[in-house]
Amino acid sequence: MSIHAFTSESYPENDRIEAWQDVLGGFGLRSSPLSAQYGEYATALSRASLDGVGLMRFAAGPQVFSPLPRRADLPVALVPAEDGAVLKAGGSPQAVPAGRIILLPRQNDWNVTFHRDMRAIVLSVTAESFGGRKISLPECRDAVIVAPGGLADILRHTLETTSEALENLSSDDWNTIRLALAEMLLTLSRQKLSATADSAGIGAQPALLHRIYEAIERKLGDPDITPARIAQMEGISERYLQKLFESTGDNFTHYLRERRLQRCWADLANAAEAHRSVSDIAFSCGFSDAAHFSRSFRDRFGLSPRAFRQQEIERLSDRGVRAERRGWPQDAIAQLRPHRQSPVIAPAELEPAASTLPQGGAPAHHHLPADAAHVHWGFFSRALKPLIEIASGDTVTVETLTQHASDDPELMIKNDPGAESVFRWTAEGKGVERRGAGPMDASIYGRGAGEGFGVHICTGPIAVKGAEPGDVLEVRVLDIVPRPSRNPEFEGRVFGSSVAAWWGYHYDEFLSEPKPREAVTIYEIFSGDEPYAQALYSYRWQPQRDPSGVLHQTYDYPGVPVAAGTIRRRHNVLDGVRIPLRLHFGVIGVAPREAGLVDSVPPAYFGGNLDNWRLGKDAAVYLPVSAPEALLSIGDPHAAQGDGELSGTAIECSMTGTFRVVLHKKADLAGRPFADLTYPLIETETDWVLTGFSHPNYLAEFGERGQSEVYAKSSLDLAMKDAFRKVRRFLMNTRGLSEDEAIALISAAVDFGVTQVVDGNWGVHAILSKRLFTN
Amino acid sequence: MKHHLLPVSPANIHWGYFSKKVAPALTLKSGDRATIETLTHHANDDYERMIANDPGAESVFHWTREHKAVARRGAGPTEGPFQRGSGEGIGVHLLTGPVAIENAEPGDILEVRILDIRPRPSCNACHAGKCFGSNVAASWGFHYHDLIEEPKPREVVTIFELDTSGEPYAKAVYNYIWTPQTDPDGIVHPTIDYPGVRVDHTRVKKRENILPNVRVPARLHFGTMGLAPAESDFVSSIPPGYTGGNIDDWRIGKGARMYYPVAVPGAFFSVGDPHAAQGDSELGGTAIETSLTGDFEFILHKNRDLGGTVLEGLSHPMLETDQQWSMYGFTFPNYLAELGQDAQTDIVNHSSLDKAMRDAFRKLRRFLMTVHHMSEDEAIALMSVAADFGVTQVVDANWGVHGSIRKNVFMCT
Repeated sequence: MSIHAFTSESYPENDRIEAWQDVLGGFGLRSSPLSAQYGEYATALSRASLDGVGLMRFAAGPQVFSPLPRRADLPVALVPAEDGAVLKAGGSPQAVPAGRIILLPRQNDWNVTFHRDMRAIVLSVTAESFGGRKISLPECRDAVIVAPGGLADILRHTLETTSEALENLSSDDWNTIRLALAEMLLTLSRQKLSATADSAGIGAQPALLHRIYEAIERKLGDPDITPARIAQMEGISERYLQKLFESTGDNFTHYLRERRLQRCWADLANAAEAHRSVSDIAFSCGFSDAAHFSRSFRDRFGLSPRAFRQQEIERLSDRGVRAERRGWPQDAIAQLRPHRQSPVIAPAELEPAASTLPQGGAPAHHHLPADAAHVHWGFFSRALKPLIEIASGDTVTVETLTQHASDDPELMIKNDPGAESVFRWTAEGKGVERRGAGPMDASIYGRGAGEGFGVHICTGPIAVKGAEPGDVLEVRVLDIVPRPSRNPEFEGRVFGSSVAAWWGYHYDEFLSEPKPREAVTIYEIFSGDEPYAQALYSYRWQPQRDPSGVLHQTYDYPGVPVAAGTIRRRHNVLDGVRIPLRLHFGVIGVAPREAGLVDSVPPAYFGGNLDNWRLGKDAAVYLPVSAPEALLSIGDPHAAQGDGELSGTAIECSMTGTFRVVLHKKADLAGRPFADLTYPLIETETDWVLTGFSHPNYLAEFGERGQSEVYAKSSLDLAMKDAFRKVRRFLMNTRGLSEDEAIALISAAVDFGVTQVVDGNWGVHAILSKRLFTN
Repeated sequence: MKHHLLPVSPANIHWGYFSKKVAPALTLKSGDRATIETLTHHANDDYERMIANDPGAESVFHWTREHKAVARRGAGPTEGPFQRGSGEGIGVHLLTGPVAIENAEPGDILEVRILDIRPRPSCNACHAGKCFGSNVAASWGFHYHDLIEEPKPREVVTIFELDTSGEPYAKAVYNYIWTPQTDPDGIVHPTIDYPGVRVDHTRVKKRENILPNVRVPARLHFGTMGLAPAESDFVSSIPPGYTGGNIDDWRIGKGARMYYPVAVPGAFFSVGDPHAAQGDSELGGTAIETSLTGDFEFILHKNRDLGGTVLEGLSHPMLETDQQWSMYGFTFPNYLAELGQDAQTDIVNHSSLDKAMRDAFRKLRRFLMTVHHMSEDEAIALMSVAADFGVTQVVDANWGVHGSIRKNVFMCT
């Protein structure tokens, strides 16, 4: 099932009408022009399930609706929100009052004209919407405007409230409502369309058959159900009962078995029934012999009940990821809870510091190479052992690798010993086994160790001598240098990759086929006075089998080497486009205070995946120290990114940074701009940049569910609120302004921008120019 | 090419609404230029500094028990009894115009170039030559239900002076908390709910020495500029929409070119809501509201000539500056059509940045695909690495997010 937002604004003028017809077609409607304005605009939000219940609310210009001839499905229900629609069906035209349901049989001749701009709700239910249950479809009579009262009112209310809440309903909510909608429409159609057809004498026979179907539904769980008992219940002879079934081209025994199998099918597919055993479900549906049930089920559906259930669970979890974005699924966290085990971390090797030892208090310089022994992949943790220890004021050169180097290993990994050691992956094992904060045995999705709950290759952690929770760590970027290819064929050239991925903002609403899709663009980076990136080629993601044998249908696990033979390169992409560079590190963070492993994707109070391009050369980020020795990690190098990081990634390019790290002790913070710091604060030469998030401290806010919830509950509106509160506090605390002064200044001079809408915890930043202050 | 002059006067302004029904104050031809004066509707927050002795401003703001020079303020009812006043303040901006463009028809695009912007100095002898503006942290501000200091809630007016001697900047002079004000018709305004009510300075407490050491760099621009929509005869000036209006982007200043879809014959361009400075988001509800005069050039692009130009398929306002293109996304791209009859009052209940971001994304994708002939994959790839999305405003009911792409990304244009 899917939620689909449509707006004609997405399409070039000439394609708008066709796109709108496509949307209407899904609801059995066709539209024709009424005036020249036609096709000017339309917006719609719809939700539909595979079995054929669809609900849509929409607004559009004046036009005429007529039926798209279809097989025998229930009539379409249309509810205009305003007066002014006119129904023409057979007789004279009838005006449709606002809020009335019109029942529109799909095979008749009718039309509904909207003379003005309109808003309406439409419900479409197919014959398949009843889980294999036979329904006696009402006779197709003329379209009717249903008088208010009774069931019509209830259906209309349900349609209205459901259509308002469409985006917010969980899958379970929607499943319940769609079943109810289908049933209500069926009953209403029977009442209303039959009523108009009274004179034609709708037979007693269909009504009786309908009652018999209903009786069977009620008695399905009774293993002793027989034709004789049903016939007795309805006061007819068994022979007549059999004849009735024959008249539909079926027989009682077959119909009963089909209904029992269908109900088992539905229960097995239902996640809420997961606690019941297969035989339990079979018994409750009236099967008295498990082996017999298993055989019948396989004959009917082509696979055993057990296999079917497994397949459904996998399908649901796939969908869960897609619908709820990245991170831990809810139910997996629920399972973890009873055991209370925090995941085990492979101990990082404590390297002898590859640095000049501090001599007489003078700042020392350190170097951290990027190789398998110096990175952690996809997570932060206070339990990680630091690789080196540095003192406040020291400088450190940190090599970082992009996790997207594997998008073209020839260009970005081959012959580079550091990158090769990190990305090494054979059937026997990996250079870095854990990628993400998930379980090592990949028991949730089976993607690989760590499950890709977190994707960034982070170099570190670096211990800062004397750092304690409550202190502030200043990390200043002194220099950034891209990492050239070591492949002799491309020696010295620099490459990057950008993926329009399934976690991108665009992913739910592609215009062109195939939908959805992931696309990778490989860039070359050129230095010079005005350095830039230019696209080399692109390809659509194809399922990749990793060296351990797992197939990755989507980009769901980092570092899967893309085999050149599996993809089709498209050249001449983004011709004539040069992207000015904005070298920066997407990830700079200290260890979170919470125990366990923390997904590297959502940024939060401890920094992490900030994805703000302003954090480049000469900028600094101030981070609240949250674990002893701070444990600083750096990664996710970006050659360029736009505010929003719309497709899910920047131009991801391995780079080496040099940083000066200064520890500000809690006792010395008073009066400093970073006193009272509870979030990452960025300082550039000209500005203070305050980072707002949907959920500034999602780990605390949602507790154990945090690493799942944060993906589901992100919003720019929340992030904007957070950014506002932070900049108000900053002005009041560090500048001594009153609240009124602060708000006046924010309104007149502070710029709010969209940092990213793809990292689970969405970001809005506030830019406060240093020029505002004269002292 | 002709150069016209449009001074402010009750005859040359309309207050609080866009309308295809108002008689044009000026009619000109494509290619003509005009100098247009505009007044801030906040001038009465400090009458002495911003209105006194300024004949144009006095004529527009004139309001006694006997005579209200501009009675209608807003798109609301003009027949009493009133809650707040004629027009009911459903729309607040003083707009100069409309300027009709000869031969403009629905489907065309009007390009408006801002050649220059100058502040309007005070005519009061005590403040002669100085320029002032007002900023209001108002009930419609983003902060209003999220205040931390008492009294809650409150509205605060801050008066700024604009220094243009060097690099222009604004400096706060004083502020005061709004207290209930009684207008000449006897209606009490407990909050700032109707534009142009003169604040009785004996009834407010001025606080001086505020925002010391703070200079707000000037960003002279017009908050509200646009064309009359087709949907209704009187459309509130507050929510921006497909014909522009109250976009509140400070980039719409000197050197900017705005493109608007023409919705009614003659286009009916109006301009007002002059701002001395504003941040992206206009958080408190207003900018530094300062009367300004602009020099404009108008170029009509006929529908038949749009194909193959940057204007092909344009159905919303778009900005061009020397550096970039910006597409304006709103919570509702066309709220008048989408929300039906009560759109103008209902829209405030639906404000959302998330929807505005969605809209900005779609508009920028369309621009890249139509104008730059990119495939969808190219457009999305480019937006992620080179387009910047920012918060335009969160206070005009139909909230805005702009999506910008820098011109230097394209080598050949």
